[in-house]
Amino acid sequence: MSNSAANTVKKPVSVKKVILRVLLYFVVLDVCVITLYPYFAMLCTALKNRVEIFSGNTILPVTALWSNFIEIWSRAPMARYLLNSVLIAGGSTVIAMLCGIPAAYALARMKFKGQTAFLGFVIVSQMFAPVVLLIGIYQVMQVLGLTDSILGLIFINAAFNQAFTIWLLRGTFIGISAEMEQAATIDGCNRVQAMMRVLLPVAAPGIVTTLIFIFINAWNEYTVALCLISTDTLKPLTVGINTFNGYNMIEWQYLFAASIFAIIPVVILFMCIEKNLVSGLASGGVKG
Amino acid sequence: MKKILALLLALAMALSLVACANSNTPDPTKDPNAGTQETQKPDDQQPSGDKIDINVIAAEYGQNTKKWWADFQDEFNKTYENINLVVEVVSWNDIYTVVNTRLGSNPPDILNIDVFADYQADDLLLPAKDYVSEETYAKFYEAFLDQSVVDGTVWAIPDLASARAMYYNVDILEAAGVDKVPTTWDELKAACEKIKAYDSSIYPWGIDMTTDEGQAAFAYYIWNNGSDFTDADGNWILNDPKNVEAIEYAVGLVNDGLTNTDPANETRYDLQDLFGAGKLAMVIGPNSIPTYIADNYAKANTPKEEQINYAFAAIPTNGGNPSVSAGVMDRFMCFDNNHSAEKIEAIKTFFDFFYEDNRYSDWVLMEGFLPATSAGGEIVAASDPAMAPWVDIVGSCKFYPTAKAEWADVKQGVINVEQQALLGGNVQELLDNLQAEIAG
Amino acid sequence: MSKATAPKAVSTTKKDPYSGKRVLRKVEPYIWIAPSVILMAIFILIPIISVFRMALNNVSKTGQLKGFNNFANFTKILKTPAFAMVLKNTLVWTIVVVVLSTVLGFMLALVLNNKFRGRKIARAIVVFPWATTLVIQASAWGFIINKDYGTLNTLLMKLRIISEPVNWTPTPEAYFGWEIACGIFVTIPFVTFCVLSGLQSIDGSYYEAATVDGATYWQKLFKITLPLVKSSLTVSTVLNIIYVFNSFPIIWTMTKGDPANRTDTLVTYLYKLAFYNGRQGEAAAVSVIGFLILLICASVYMIYTLRKGDGDL
Repeated sequence: MSNSAANTVKKPVSVKKVILRVLLYFVVLDVCVITLYPYFAMLCTALKNRVEIFSGNTILPVTALWSNFIEIWSRAPMARYLLNSVLIAGGSTVIAMLCGIPAAYALARMKFKGQTAFLGFVIVSQMFAPVVLLIGIYQVMQVLGLTDSILGLIFINAAFNQAFTIWLLRGTFIGISAEMEQAATIDGCNRVQAMMRVLLPVAAPGIVTTLIFIFINAWNEYTVALCLISTDTLKPLTVGINTFNGYNMIEWQYLFAASIFAIIPVVILFMCIEKNLVSGLASGGVKG
Repeated sequence: MKKILALLLALAMALSLVACANSNTPDPTKDPNAGTQETQKPDDQQPSGDKIDINVIAAEYGQNTKKWWADFQDEFNKTYENINLVVEVVSWNDIYTVVNTRLGSNPPDILNIDVFADYQADDLLLPAKDYVSEETYAKFYEAFLDQSVVDGTVWAIPDLASARAMYYNVDILEAAGVDKVPTTWDELKAACEKIKAYDSSIYPWGIDMTTDEGQAAFAYYIWNNGSDFTDADGNWILNDPKNVEAIEYAVGLVNDGLTNTDPANETRYDLQDLFGAGKLAMVIGPNSIPTYIADNYAKANTPKEEQINYAFAAIPTNGGNPSVSAGVMDRFMCFDNNHSAEKIEAIKTFFDFFYEDNRYSDWVLMEGFLPATSAGGEIVAASDPAMAPWVDIVGSCKFYPTAKAEWADVKQGVINVEQQALLGGNVQELLDNLQAEIAG
Repeated sequence: MSKATAPKAVSTTKKDPYSGKRVLRKVEPYIWIAPSVILMAIFILIPIISVFRMALNNVSKTGQLKGFNNFANFTKILKTPAFAMVLKNTLVWTIVVVVLSTVLGFMLALVLNNKFRGRKIARAIVVFPWATTLVIQASAWGFIINKDYGTLNTLLMKLRIISEPVNWTPTPEAYFGWEIACGIFVTIPFVTFCVLSGLQSIDGSYYEAATVDGATYWQKLFKITLPLVKSSLTVSTVLNIIYVFNSFPIIWTMTKGDPANRTDTLVTYLYKLAFYNGRQGEAAAVSVIGFLILLICASVYMIYTLRKGDGDL
């Protein structure tokens, strides 16, 4: 499928191949170590007490204070924050996809006036940082009665992720030949059915990438959630863990413990969905 | 060319779409609670029409604030069944963003924050006497109320205060041969040099000139050089020769390598962490530092002999000027949301409840702050001997000129001046420019 | 103009005699894009309009509009001496972060597209920086490079690479460098996964054919891989430029633009103006200026890439 798969077909294993392989592992290992280092540092800090943190003498904690991880649960409603984050990220992903897929499909498969204008509008919608739009967003939410609600955050995140969704999916759809859908239409499918049954399975890798992207973006969104949500039990993790950033001190150990905890769900989701990324590859291979 | 036209057209199209959307949306002036009711959790707050809602946004002072307010809210709502109090606690990092975002469309009834002049300037606030009962009003230190006066009216009431003093590490000073705790700038510089000579890995003096709280450093040095932000008539005198001298002194300490490495980026948090770790010999800090250090040691079970040995003293001054402590005072204010007479009564009830002497001293002690009422002061001083000297200090300290409308610009301006000076700028020129910009 | 439209109308009526169906044909695409348009119009466009209103008005410290002020917000901003520096910082920040993260992210995607043991784990690890909130990511970096208790110094001292703590941020430029590094670090995964998704839909038979023809690795890279991932790479680059240009948390958490605007970009600068100085009108003006810059770049891009595409309108 990819070049390495093609390479394994050839039997003789040359020295060059071995060197390349070693080099590959070396690079991968380096990348992993560099990427993980901040998390290693965060984990070590999360397991220390403040005195040890600021002595700056140790890498690993002298005695690992796993209690810091337990304490964050009693200090803040972490389970609640987690649930809210899942709802917000999940809901945003669903809405963004429901709105974005049809739009991307129309752009890829139909010709209509204002197509370019629409694409332009999508890009323009991204050109203001959320920080800039806060006040306006709050006013809109106020009118719609969506301040202090998870639903409001879902809509905002879905809207902010439209650009990526539409652009990436449009590219993916264009890259896929329309012949099979046309065949399906002749077989009596309508457009929606043809898209659902024929196009979307083939476009799986692009769709999965988009999904992950929206989910992660919504999961990490901070500024809008901060200003929109006032009830503590409706806050997502990103805003909730700010509790550990106090007036008189920053509680690094709790902040980092909570942050590490916040990464876990995303990584789990990614590992589950990654399988589809690979199987998407298989179905992508069929069409050629 | 055609594409640019297309882009513009897209904008226009969307604009007209918005116009339609706007006219169809419900009237924004409808019941202001419609939004919040929908999302209130069924747990304990039943939205009911005949209850009076009071929304409070409060600043999060530390790890105990949130719980304190939650308990307060429960107790208050149980005591007064006709009132539905909702307190939202927001961290200091974010509170300006949160408040400014909401002011236009959904201001809180009561706000607990440090500044008030901007809100007052836009006629958003009620005079304090309108929403505080006479009995409670009489409790505040007069000097504190004076800080919230604009045009002869008090617009906000103090909720607590903190004061600053110089903390020093007794052991380091002793080991470095500093016999006398420095009280003047000359002594301070000499002490710093001795400490540096004794152990170059220890920072002798801590300075914070960050966006976080750089205005405090400005105040420490100019106040202890016998000067101020304004003259007696309230006119800005930022480029006063004494102010120039003060900032040049502070920047001089940095340039001589007698301070923490990076005063433009190291905040007071970093400084108190360094002081607590015994890496910083002297620093001007708030009265909460002992609580912070004790708390660290308690959690780490640090044996006594490994703990730092520290004390605090008056902030050093230039020559014979009297030492001035910097006070920081926060406030409650009430937004003018066309409250009914009933609601005003409810708000008065809220403040009576809050400033009830025992509850109030509990509030102040919770995060180790200083009280703003005389009765509170007595209780705090009696219950915690370590706090007693601070209660005296806070009665005599100076405050930022927060009642002046230009304060926000002055605050950012002096921080900018400090940072430019650290990068090698000329203090006199910088302050001249700032003065010209502020005073017009 | 009228010349062009008239024959078109005629030709469509000729082709499609069933007018009801024709109308549906014409309207159908708009129904497909409607949900997306409505979503963005309500939640993004209305706020954008309020930014424009603020930029053109005299705005009080608490955000009340006090009437049109003849572009005073813009002239005031453009006269501020720090503004030129902030603008320059923004451009440096955007260009360096986008270029380096795109190149590195692309290379990483090529590496991760190989089959090897532990590929799944490696891919999951690469997601980490992306799965972390930027505020936390930046705090962690600030914590690591701190001179006095940072873990980097501790580590290097334990490894005996250095003998005493190094001040990693002696100058404002050094701070900015670290911020850029952090920006690249968090942007790479985004590029990597965009490219990977493109790479995985490439048919392996292309490579097999090329290998049979004796193509070298580089030939395959430039003749097969690049053209085929071009669309996802373009999307990721264009959006990256916008996201990075408007990125706020990294710089805000690490330096707040200190010292004296040396590390400010437009967004952190306007944030301070709006929420610290209470000059919301000027802050809105800054964001409009930023918007215009991006709009010009985007227009150039649109003209360049979509020229041969759908030419109507």
